[in-house]
Parts: sequence; structure tokens; C-alpha cells
Amino acid sequence: MLKFKLNPLTRKKLERFRSNRRGFISLIVFCVLSILALGAELWVSNRALIVSYEGELYFPTYGDQYSGTDFGEDYSFEANYRDLAQKWEEEGSENWVLLPLVPYGPNESDFKDGLYPPFKPSFAESHFLGTDKTARDVLARLVYGFRIVLYFSAGYVSLVYLIGVGIGCSMGYFGGKFDLIGQRLIEIWSNIPFLYVVIIVASVTTPDFWKLLLIVVAFSWTGMTFYMRSGAYKEKARDYVAAAEALGAGNARIIFKHVLPNSLSTLVTFIPFTVAAAITGLTALDFLNFGLPVPTPSWGELLKQGTTNLHAPWIVLSTFSAMVTILLLVTFIGEAVREAFDPKKFTLYQ
Amino acid sequence: MDTAEISALSVRNLRAGFATKDGVIVAVDDVSFDVPKGKTLGLVGESGCGKSVTALSIMRLLPNPTGRIISGTIEHHGNNLVDLSIDEMRKVRGAQIGMVFQEPMTALNPVHRIGQQLSECFFLHFPNITKKEAWDRSIEALKRVGIPAPETRVTEYPHQLSGGMRQRVVIAMALACDPGVLICDEPTTALDVTIQAQILDLIGQLQADLGMSVVMITHDLGVIAETCDEVVVMYAGRVAEKGTVFDIFEKPQHLYTTGLLSSIPKLESPGKERLSTIPGMVPSLADMPMGARFAPRSGHPKIGEYLESAAFKEERPELAEVAPGHWVEDCEYVRVFG
Amino acid sequence: MSEKLLDVKDLKVHFPLRSGLFSRTVKHCKAVDGVSLSLKKGETFGLVGESGCGKSTLGKTICRLIQPTAGEIHFQGANIAGYDRKQMRPIRRDVQMVFQDPAESLNARHTVREILEEPFIIHGIGDASARRKKVDALLDRVGLGKQAAGKYSFEFSGGQRQRIGIARAIALEPKLIICDEPVSALDVSVQSQILNLLMELQKDMGLTYLFIAHDLAVVKVISDRIGVMYLGKMVEVADGAEIFKNPIHEYTKALISAIPVPNPRAEKNRVMLRGDVPSPIDPPPGCAFARRSPIKVSEEIASQPGDYVEVSPGHWVEMHPATVADYDSYAASS
Ligand SMILES: Nc1ncnc2c1ncn2[C@@H]1O[C@H](COP(=O)(O)OP(=O)(O)OP(=O)(O)O)[C@@H](O)[C@H]1O
Ligand SMILES: Nc1ncnc2c1ncn2[C@@H]1O[C@H](COP(=O)(O)OP(=O)(O)OP(=O)(O)O)[C@@H](O)[C@H]1O
Ligand SMILES: [Mg+2]
Ligand SMILES: [Mg+2]
Repeated sequence: MLKFKLNPLTRKKLERFRSNRRGFISLIVFCVLSILALGAELWVSNRALIVSYEGELYFPTYGDQYSGTDFGEDYSFEANYRDLAQKWEEEGSENWVLLPLVPYGPNESDFKDGLYPPFKPSFAESHFLGTDKTARDVLARLVYGFRIVLYFSAGYVSLVYLIGVGIGCSMGYFGGKFDLIGQRLIEIWSNIPFLYVVIIVASVTTPDFWKLLLIVVAFSWTGMTFYMRSGAYKEKARDYVAAAEALGAGNARIIFKHVLPNSLSTLVTFIPFTVAAAITGLTALDFLNFGLPVPTPSWGELLKQGTTNLHAPWIVLSTFSAMVTILLLVTFIGEAVREAFDPKKFTLYQ
Repeated sequence: MDTAEISALSVRNLRAGFATKDGVIVAVDDVSFDVPKGKTLGLVGESGCGKSVTALSIMRLLPNPTGRIISGTIEHHGNNLVDLSIDEMRKVRGAQIGMVFQEPMTALNPVHRIGQQLSECFFLHFPNITKKEAWDRSIEALKRVGIPAPETRVTEYPHQLSGGMRQRVVIAMALACDPGVLICDEPTTALDVTIQAQILDLIGQLQADLGMSVVMITHDLGVIAETCDEVVVMYAGRVAEKGTVFDIFEKPQHLYTTGLLSSIPKLESPGKERLSTIPGMVPSLADMPMGARFAPRSGHPKIGEYLESAAFKEERPELAEVAPGHWVEDCEYVRVFG
Repeated sequence: MSEKLLDVKDLKVHFPLRSGLFSRTVKHCKAVDGVSLSLKKGETFGLVGESGCGKSTLGKTICRLIQPTAGEIHFQGANIAGYDRKQMRPIRRDVQMVFQDPAESLNARHTVREILEEPFIIHGIGDASARRKKVDALLDRVGLGKQAAGKYSFEFSGGQRQRIGIARAIALEPKLIICDEPVSALDVSVQSQILNLLMELQKDMGLTYLFIAHDLAVVKVISDRIGVMYLGKMVEVADGAEIFKNPIHEYTKALISAIPVPNPRAEKNRVMLRGDVPSPIDPPPGCAFARRSPIKVSEEIASQPGDYVEVSPGHWVEMHPATVADYDSYAASS
């Protein structure tokens, strides 16, 4: 990996990427958002950051949950830190609680007596983007939903690349009958209607994260094999591969030292667009009710709630803006990557 | 003076270059030459010496936005091409100055029929022409460059033709509107020798028939000797020596010219003998000395003195006329000695 | 000197061209169609011909990078035409190749050191420090210097890259090097440097070259014997001097006369060929050259194949009424 970085060609590409301000800033913003989402417990959670109870400090954010009895309450389920905070505040006791910025969990309903959710955004109650129709905090659901999207995209991209590169590279490199049969099989495979399979699977079992990921990947790796296949095929025909072969290099050496590194570099440019595909794919499935099981926080589910509850426009507006922002960021990054890898396309003649 | 009357194109003190991150790179530095009417001028030099940039400057086709003409004039029919607007320049291209590129496939659009592409040239320059006329003229143009069965060829696509045929089509396109000047940038480098001979013959014949002036750009001194009347030898963006073809081949005065001539493998050599070479390599454009650029490779006995001197760092040598019409870089350390 | 290092007999390489839904083989590209040649130890055999006539295919097949369709390749007495990967491994050390496009033949992701170490790693020669020394020595040998080792190939000029390619080819101290147009992409002044380097290496290491080029003048400089190829077939083979002094095949004559001479006073009398090089995909029957030859013959005669005849010691020509001017007198004498 270190060697990879030192290659001046790669360095030049990185430099070119950095010189595209829009793409570079988008990448930074995207990274910051991702870090915020990965550390969501620290700023969006119904667990307190710090509890000081009878002179001792507790950090409930990560790790085991503390029950109400631990803090002198009369219930044995998980402590409700918002109530504790309020109570100790009113009592003026020594004990105190430091709550996160958004003191709600993604799956937690915050009902109010005599009122029907959804509730409007309210700074006083720290529902910055309001609640959905079961009184769950929209911001909390967006943040945790984004985290799931991130996990999903990461899993999707790695699996699609792993399978696509593996199969595509062997088809392109070995060619012949293997390639021919492989191609026909892939053609047949990619003609199976994806949505039907999802509907059938969803009706037989409740899809969880991994099942859903596998199903989606199973129907999207084929595109990558074709890029990889033609990439490997092209690289294989080049003289430096012939030179390695003339030296007596074996297949493994040629593939891993020569063909793969050289054909992979072009595939890097597809990553942002694959991520965008994963995001829209998961959201669409959730929207259609074939996605992750309730009550997993998900953008698609929020979007559907929003569109059916237009009298509570904060739901649809915030979800929609979040999606557009993320997709725009990813697209800008993708454009910048592509430009950095292929600057020739962008010089014009008068 | 009367140069305008006898020269079809006259380039004066042309400087052209590219804006890069590390500043402006000057690829053509103060180049001047005249293309005599109805004759052929050869531009010869090694890869990267600025031949194509010179040609593209004349056509005002330097890549946008990095490439630009920095200074100098290009005189053609009383116009200074450097000052023309883009629209005026479009009228000059094709109609008055045609160009043939090295790689015929880049000049042809792979998805259009040959006839469509040729017709396009006619539509550009004769807005009133009908489709039928343009098509007929396209066939005529193909016939002129010796393509057999032009009536069927016009309906074919570029990839259906061989390399030599494609280059003929490109020449036909360049000549479609009878330009007075034809610029050929390595027209035969991508072709086989027997096909090269055919194409060079064709250009010579067309020149005789139409009375064109030709600028022949090549790195092959053999092609220069066979086709040119006047020769400009370029080295690292500057003119090293210029004169008639006999001056250059029989009385070369620049050490670079002699070096080039002696490193060509000769047919009459007995074989398996060391070839003479020019030591070293072309300096990179980024760190060019001001003085004679060939000096570090010249092999002149007193070259050490010059490389140390202030003159090498600061003074750019002018061209000196050693015989009528024969000009050489005026620096004794790169001139033939002894 | 007279020991045969390489003996190729009636070598054929036909590429099947597939088309249609069921990928049936409908046509064959006869890139090499019955070529015989032999190389003596320490000599240079120059191979010339126009683009697409099968020179690279022949070179790569001898190097066993392409599977021959038919024929024999005897290297040091053993027929290696049918060898598999494992059997070829020891042979690889003895047969190496230098490619036309120096940029294309070097992996842009590897440093020069990695490129030059590869042969030693593949054949398990030496440990890291020994390999280091060998690479430095190789770089010195081809005139690049040790400091080149840490750079990448695209940081060099075309001539320097070709030196790297040559260094890789001589790394395992081979006996035969196939040079596939090693100087075609280079400028004249660099070209002469590389040709000198190749000749020096040959003298020092006792190498045998199969030197492919399309420029007869270049081939003349470096070769002991020269073969002319046309459309997958060898049409004339002779000593370097002989073939220029006494070319017999019309195609050889045309090639020689087409070379632009760097002398403005040289008179031109060209043998002009008709038309273009025909395609090796389903070539015309009989003598491939007959339809382009300045000697016009009837279609009936053209479709008869020529004979490959030794007209004088070591001078072989494809004999056919359309390829040899005084065919009748040659035919009578033999
Ligand atoms: N678009 C560009 N941007 C920056 N530099 C360029 C560009 N095009 C050409 N150059 C530089 O300008 C110099 C002259 O290039 P030019 O193409 O005129 O060479 P040439 O004499 O035509 O060579 P060749 O024989 O290889 O065609 C070269 O050093 C090249 O690196
Ligand atoms: N792998 C292949 N599959 C099919 N046809 C091929 C293949 N390789 C080469 N050919 C064809 O074989 C013929 C001979 O090609 P080859 O590369 O040997 O020519 P060459 O003499 O080396 O030409 P050049 O001077 O252009 O390098 C060409 O027509 C080419 O299209
Ligand atoms: Mg050029
Ligand atoms: Mg070849």
C-alpha cells in the first residue's frame, strides 16, 4: 500500500483530485458526516454521556445498560436519563446527568399526553427536526439511518468488487471456453427480475441486514464483471504481460502483480457511483416495504411516512434534503475522481 | 521587401507554448521561415522539438486552454493569421490552408461515412451547395487522390479502409477546397515504406497539378531529401539551420545536422559496424539554457569553455547567413569546425 | 559458428476468427503460413516486411507466447513447439524478447528495480542483496546507471526505456533474443545508440538475434542474414550484402527501392506496387504477391503456388512467374 502511494502517477492523480475544489470539499464533508454518523451515540442517544450519582461517575453511552434501580429509581428496566436529569434538576440534588445534544434514541417514542404525533420541530424539547407519526425523533432516525446506509454501502461495494473483480478478471485473463460459458451464464442470471426475487424472499422470511445485502449484491455484481473482464482482457494483451510471460512468470504472478493492479485503477473511478447505487437501492427497497424490518431506522421508511403524512412536511423535507445532500456529495466526488483519472477528456481544441 | 510575392506563408519570430502548473513552457522559440510559392518546405527534427506545435500554431489549432501563441507573426495573403478571429480563421482553414495529420484515424470520424465527411468540407466553405453536388464533388475528390472505385468507397466507413487508403481520404479532405498551402504533419510515419512511397508520390503529383505550396513535417531525413526544396532543421524548439535541400545535405554547417546525417543507417554501409551517434539526449523543455541548446551534446573541442561562460546562460545566438539563403545558428561551438 | 541454435520448420499460426451467435469459427487469419528459417549461434537474422505480414506473430511464437498451429520449432535440438508451461520454464532463461513499444512493454506501476528483479525472482536466483547487485550491474551494462533503479519507466525518454527493456531481456543471460522492432519508435540519433548497444552486447555475451524491423536500412546495419516476409510467408532469404546487391523477388526489389534515400541528388527509379497489402484473413489462393506484382500474370497462373528454391548457396527465393523477372531462365537452370 505504501508503494502504491509513492508511485508518482498515483500521486499526480491525488493531486489532480485535490485541485478539484468541489470534489475535494465534498469528500471532506462526506467524511465528516460519516464520522458523525459512526459516532452517533455521542451526540444522538437516549443514553446519557455522563451520570454523576452519589459521588460516582457512570458512562452509559457504550457498554452495559444501567437499570433504573442503579440510580435509585423503582424500575428495573433501562434508566430513563431524560427523566433522571429532570428529576435531579428539580430536586436540586448533588447528582447530575450530561445528556447528548439530541437526547433521543432512534427507536424511542416520545409520546405526550393528550397529543397525537407527529410533533413539529421544537428546540425546547430538542426535537430539532420534529418527530414522526410514532413520536420518534426524525433527526435521530436520519442519523442512525445514514449509519446503516453507510454500512450497507461499504458491504455492497466490497462484495460487488470482490465478486465482480474475481470473476471478471478470471474470465478476461483465461478467456476461451470458461469466458464464453461464464458470459452466457451471467447473461441468463442478469435477466432474472430482481424485484420479484426480493418480493418472494420478503414474503418467505423477514429480510435482515445481511440477507438484504446478499440479495442486492447477488443481482448487481454482474455489471462489474464486464468492466473487469474487458480491463483484464486489454491488459493481458499488452506487451509487459507478454514480457513477464517470456520470463516464465506463472499465472498467479501475472494476475496479481501485473493484470490486477493495472486494471483495478480504472475501476476505482466507479466506487462513488457504486456507493450512490447502494444508497438509492436500499432507500427504494425500504420505501417499497421490502427492506429492513421495522423498527430499523431507515431513510426509505421515513420518506414513505413523509409522503403519506404531508400535513407534517418536516418529515419529508428533512429526509429529502438529507438524501439529496448525500447523493450530490457522492456525485461530486465521483466526478472529481473521474477527472483526476482521465484528464485528457477535459482538454478541448478550439 | 518582396518576400510576400514569392512566399506563400511566412512565419516570423514565432513563439508558442503551453501554460502549465509550473509556469509557461515555450515549445517553439523564435522560429522564422518562409514557404516558397509552389515549392516544398521541410521541417525536420527529433521528437519533441516543436514541429507539430509550429504546424498547429499556423492552423491556430493549439489545444485550448493551455496552448497559446506568445508572440510573432504568420503572414499569409497579406493577413497576419495570429490576429484573426476564430470565425475568420475557420474560413482560412481548409479553404486556404489544408492540413494532413500523422494518424489518419484521428482526423476521421469513425461513425460517419467517408462521403458524409467529405461533403461536410464542401458545406462549410460553400454554404449554397446542394447535397447532390457535395456528394459528386466528394467522389471527384477521392478520384483525385487515386482511390479505386470512389463511387463505392464514399459509402464506406473509415474502419473499412486500409491505413494507406485512409491517409488518401485525409489528403482528399485537406485538398477538397483547393487550398494554396498544404501542411503535412508526418503524413507517412504510420504507413509502410511501399505505401509511403505511393503517398509521397501522390502529394508530389498533386502539388505539380495544383501549384500548391507544401510544408512537409517529418523526422525522416530520407523523406526530406526526396520531397523538399527548402529545409528547416529544428532542435529543442529553435531553428538550428535552414537552407536549400542541397545546402543542408551537402554543406551542413551545424553540428546537430551533421550528427543527424551521420547517425542514419546507410544502405551502402558494409554492416555490423558501429554507427556514429550524438551523445547525450535532448534537454527537457523546463530547463532550457538561453544559449545554444545543442552545445552540451556538440562534442566541440572547446565546448567546456562555452558551457562555463556567461554567454551560454544569457545570450541567445541569432541566425547567421553563411551563404545566400543558408542560415545557421551563430555560435561557433555548435558550428562545424576544422 | 555453424552450430544451429534455432531451426523453425514450416511453422503455421492461424488465428481462428469467431463470429455469430454460436461463436462458430468461420474464418482464419493466416498470420504465419508455413515459414522455415534457421539461426546459427552468434548470428543476427534480420526479418523485414510490411505491417501485418506476421513478423511479430512469428517472433512471439518462437518465444512460445503464441501457440503454433502446425510446424516445428527446434531450439538447441529439442522441438519446443508442443512444450507446456512447465517444460518451457527452463527454456525461458535462454529465449528472451525485446518489444517494439518500450512504454507498453514496461509495467508503469513498477519501479525499474522491480522490473529488473522480476526475472531473478521468477527463477529463484539469489537473495535480496544479490539481486540488488545484479540489477545495478545490469543498469550499468546498458548505460543507465544505478540511480535509475528507483524511478518509474514513464520518467524516462523512449531510448532510455528501451535500454530498460534490453536490460530485462539480458538479465538471465539468454542465448537467443527476439528483438521485435526495438528501434522503430525511436528517433534516428537514439536509434543508432540502441543499435550500437545491441551489437556490443552480442559481441560480449555471444548472443543470437532474430531482429525484426520494417526498415531495411536498419536491418542491413545489424544483420548477417536477412529474410523478407510477405503475408505470412518468407519470400526471400539471403546474406545481408547479397540481398541488396542481387535481389531476385519483385517484392524485395520494391522494398529496397521504396526506402527514401537521404541524398537529394539520388535518382529515383521506384518499383511501384499496385494496390494495398491484402489481408491475411482468407488470403487469395496461390501466390500471395502475384496480384500486386509489377509483372502481370493471368489469374490462372497467379492462383498457382510458388516454389521455395535455393538459387545460389544460402539464397532462397519464392519462385513464381509473377515474383521473379526471368523466371524461365531460373526454371530452366534448376
Ligand atoms: N498539450 C501540451 N501541453 C504541454 N506540453 C505540450 C503539449 N503538446 C506538446 N507539448 C510539448 O511541446 C513540445 C513540442 O511538441 P511537438 O508535438 O511540437 O513535437 P514534435 O516535434 O511534433 O514531435 P513528434 O516528432 O514526436 O511529433 C514537446 O516537448 C511537448 O512535450
Ligand atoms: N491474437 C490475434 N488474433 C487474431 N489475429 C491476430 C492476432 N495477432 C495478430 N493477428 C493478425 O495477424 C496478422 C499479423 O500480425 P503481426 O502483429 O504478426 O504483424 P507484424 O508483421 O508484426 O506487423 P507490424 O509491423 O504492424 O508489427 C495481422 O493481420 C493481425 O491482425
Ligand atoms: Mg509531432
Ligand atoms: Mg509487429
